[in-house]
Amino acid sequence: MKSYTQISGEIGDLSELPFWKKTDVVDLVYVGYGLFIVTLVVFSYILGTFNLLPRDPQEIDLELMIAPPGTTGHLLGTDFMGRDILSRLIVGIQAYFLPGLLAVFIALFFGTILGVLAGYRGGRFETAITYVTNLVDSFPRLVLILLVIAAFKPNIYYIMIVVGLTNVPVVSSHIRGKIHFLKQKNFVEAGVSLGLPTRTIILKHILWHNCRSLLIIQATIGMAEAILMETSLSYLGFGVQEPTPSWGNMVQAGANYFMQGKFWLSTAPALSILFTILGFHLLGDGLNNILEGKRGK
Amino acid sequence: MKLSAIRPIALVLSRELAITALLLLGVSFVVFIILYLSPGDPFSVLLEGQMSTAEARAGLREVLGVPKSWHAQYLSWLTAMLQGNFGTSIRTGLPVLKEVLRVGLNTLVLTIGSMLVTLIIAVPIALYSAARGTNRVSWPLTMFSYVVSALPVFWLGYIVIYFFTHKLGLFPLVLGYSSSAQKFGWLYTLLPIFVLGIGNGTISEVIRYLRDEMGRVMAEDYIRTARAKGASVWKHAYKEGFLIPVTEIIASKIPFILGGAVIVEQVFNWQGMGRMAWQAAQDRDYPVIMGIAIISAVFVRLGSLFQSIVYVAVNPRASKE
Amino acid sequence: MTAGPLLKIEDLRTYFYSRSKQAFIRSVDGVSLKIKRGETLGIVGESGSGKSITALSVMGLISAGPGVISGKIGFKSPRITKNLLQDLDEYVKLTMKDGKIMQLSKDFVGWEKHSERIMSRVRGKEIAMIFQNPKSSLNPFAPIGRQITEAIQLHTAIKNEQEAKERAIAWLDRVKIDSPRLRFGNYPYGLSGGMCQRAMIAMALACEPSLLIADEPTTGLDATIQSKIVELLAELKSELGITTMLISHDISIISRLSDSVAVMYGGTVVEYGPARDILALDFAFKHPYTTALLASIPSARNIREKSYPQAIEGDVLDTINIPPGCRFYGRCNQVTEGIREKCAFKEPDLREIAHSHKVRCWLYFD
Repeated sequence: MKSYTQISGEIGDLSELPFWKKTDVVDLVYVGYGLFIVTLVVFSYILGTFNLLPRDPQEIDLELMIAPPGTTGHLLGTDFMGRDILSRLIVGIQAYFLPGLLAVFIALFFGTILGVLAGYRGGRFETAITYVTNLVDSFPRLVLILLVIAAFKPNIYYIMIVVGLTNVPVVSSHIRGKIHFLKQKNFVEAGVSLGLPTRTIILKHILWHNCRSLLIIQATIGMAEAILMETSLSYLGFGVQEPTPSWGNMVQAGANYFMQGKFWLSTAPALSILFTILGFHLLGDGLNNILEGKRGK
Repeated sequence: MKLSAIRPIALVLSRELAITALLLLGVSFVVFIILYLSPGDPFSVLLEGQMSTAEARAGLREVLGVPKSWHAQYLSWLTAMLQGNFGTSIRTGLPVLKEVLRVGLNTLVLTIGSMLVTLIIAVPIALYSAARGTNRVSWPLTMFSYVVSALPVFWLGYIVIYFFTHKLGLFPLVLGYSSSAQKFGWLYTLLPIFVLGIGNGTISEVIRYLRDEMGRVMAEDYIRTARAKGASVWKHAYKEGFLIPVTEIIASKIPFILGGAVIVEQVFNWQGMGRMAWQAAQDRDYPVIMGIAIISAVFVRLGSLFQSIVYVAVNPRASKE
Repeated sequence: MTAGPLLKIEDLRTYFYSRSKQAFIRSVDGVSLKIKRGETLGIVGESGSGKSITALSVMGLISAGPGVISGKIGFKSPRITKNLLQDLDEYVKLTMKDGKIMQLSKDFVGWEKHSERIMSRVRGKEIAMIFQNPKSSLNPFAPIGRQITEAIQLHTAIKNEQEAKERAIAWLDRVKIDSPRLRFGNYPYGLSGGMCQRAMIAMALACEPSLLIADEPTTGLDATIQSKIVELLAELKSELGITTMLISHDISIISRLSDSVAVMYGGTVVEYGPARDILALDFAFKHPYTTALLASIPSARNIREKSYPQAIEGDVLDTINIPPGCRFYGRCNQVTEGIREKCAFKEPDLREIAHSHKVRCWLYFD
């Protein structure tokens, strides 16, 4: 049963409706949750940088090993060496935060440049960039990274550069698509015939006004991927090494205990990964629907 | 398909093959650059590894030395590879190509199996959402798939293993379970496929893409005509709304799934390419990791080729483009 | 020979809902029409008047919500007698306020199942529909021949593939497509708009339906092709005597093909009667809208008499914000002081003013 009610009195115009009435509740929930996660991550990152932690993440307490959550002084319990899990989780964010931002920045920066070149100049440029895009897409990212690790050092920043570069094609193709779309709508022609000065200004019109939401959404996706990549690598043993905590290596370390029925050691970091990645995904999805107006029946 | 349609299709396919070959060439070049730029000169090690016997290697080195200029190195390496010579593993001394292909088969099984699992879960949800829209049934399922897609696949693996070994007592992890281990050993091979299928993060994207595409197709004029004449909507919509989007998204996700395979093979100790890659990265075993990188790229491009074939077979206009 | 009209639409209402404005879009707001056996009814009006939605409602092809919410569609053919909207009121609950529907609930799943059961025996077999934009209305992935044989095999006694093919080719020939046997295997993208439309007509008529609904069949085609399609329809009409509901905003094709005409505006029928009366420029009892519509066409007669076509002032009625009173009030140029108050606040009924000629206007009634 679906019900429809018409409002009594004057029927207003769409643009008059306040922001929260225009959008789907679902998208607001997505964005709300996503922003919550982002704030949490940034906040935790700051806590971690200034060492404002509940406890010392390296402090070993052999009397209190594998304590359950809720034990006094250890909100999320302790691991197999008696170290506080909550503090280790907070510090674990350090492992992916800045590298992730690097990956996102590289993807957006180069992606935009290439996308604009391909969309605006077209022709050979576009073919070349399409080729490079398909080329980069031919590699499984993890395998490529393992190759880089074998050839160079397992340095997380190198790795994030690779992650960023592998995302460049995606960003550039979205931007290129947007420019084609705008071209179709004679948007570009209009700008040129208005005698708008250099392309720089047209770029401002194209990029700032029309690609803003696109870039933000790609940033969320990129960050989610970077987190997944870092955690997977440290799980495999290639990232941050013990005793420095990273969510990935915490899951790995807890693996044996998992089989013994002591789930929490692996589950706490795994759930952190889950909720954080989910947060970025939903943020991107919600923003996409709100800003690009895809929903509405 | 009619006979007259075959010639243009063949033309399109040869074009696709040519593009694939060009891309693979590019792949080899990228791999080459990475190895060439790395400190420690792995390249000479590689080239030496490509020569047949130890004596030949020693002898040749004296006489010819390893070629100096980068393009000469690239060329000799590439020619050797095209002849099937990928060098030998630093760790085991075994020829790389043969080893990689051997375990590559296991990874292929894992990859394709997991794709089927993903589709079995994602397709019904997507089609239902396209037909009925967001409602009490489709929304929780879609949300659930989002959550599942964000699950770290390694953790999912542990849960599944734990569940099967301890709760169901099915595994040869503990000795003495011989009879049930025999019976259920084959089930154990299904586990990583199941885990990768769910945990590779592609479920939510497949659902979203398929639902959007099928939804778009259902709103097309020709579907309205089909309805108006009382014909089966699916029969008219499946080509553009199902076949093409599914092959498209699956082909584009192959690299992603292969990446997930690396992790899953680790968790389950599955003897595949992924596990070998991990080992190679640990040991700095360049020939092996290089071979795996190239073979993975070949897999990816084969998937892409398959998708092109489906597209051309289904779309009467494709051969004219 | 069954007496009575083939199709009788009574007080049909099809609403949509605008979430952004939180109001109903009253696309079809109480439409009643009748089509006699063998007759061609032309429905004319501007875009947004609700004519296409009426046709889609008859076929049960409205998918957006809320859709068809009230009314009766009586269909009486040699093979079937049925109210196509039977039991609709069991699935819809309306709440009125000041005589207007302000709230409604509809059980979509239930109604769709119910409607499908009724319509599955009707669509394609009893009532066939052709659309505008013939190129996009045909399946681009199948040859046109197969699309026709699909219909034949579904709705006629011919199940054999070869026989169906022969029949399809015969029909392709009948709609004047050259080399029908060759064209049978052509895809829509390889055919012109005119040919696609002919193919659609063949597809619709090959099953010998009792009623043909043609929704803007010439819109989107080149002018020369348009007249050819109209000629084809006229020929088929005299050959087959098929009952047709023809919808168009183009008065010229309405006049060429229709026996009766219904003029729609703002979701309602404002005038309804024999074609020659309605289309005659000097008929005494016409609705101001009809008069204005006829005057706005650049036809030879208009040009001779007036030397320029006269546009109708104002904008098309916004079917969300329907004002009280006559829907044409804001644009009517025949309002007199005596009836101004009635026109502004009370909507006239559709009443018979001459033999089988109805008008919805205060000019002619008290």
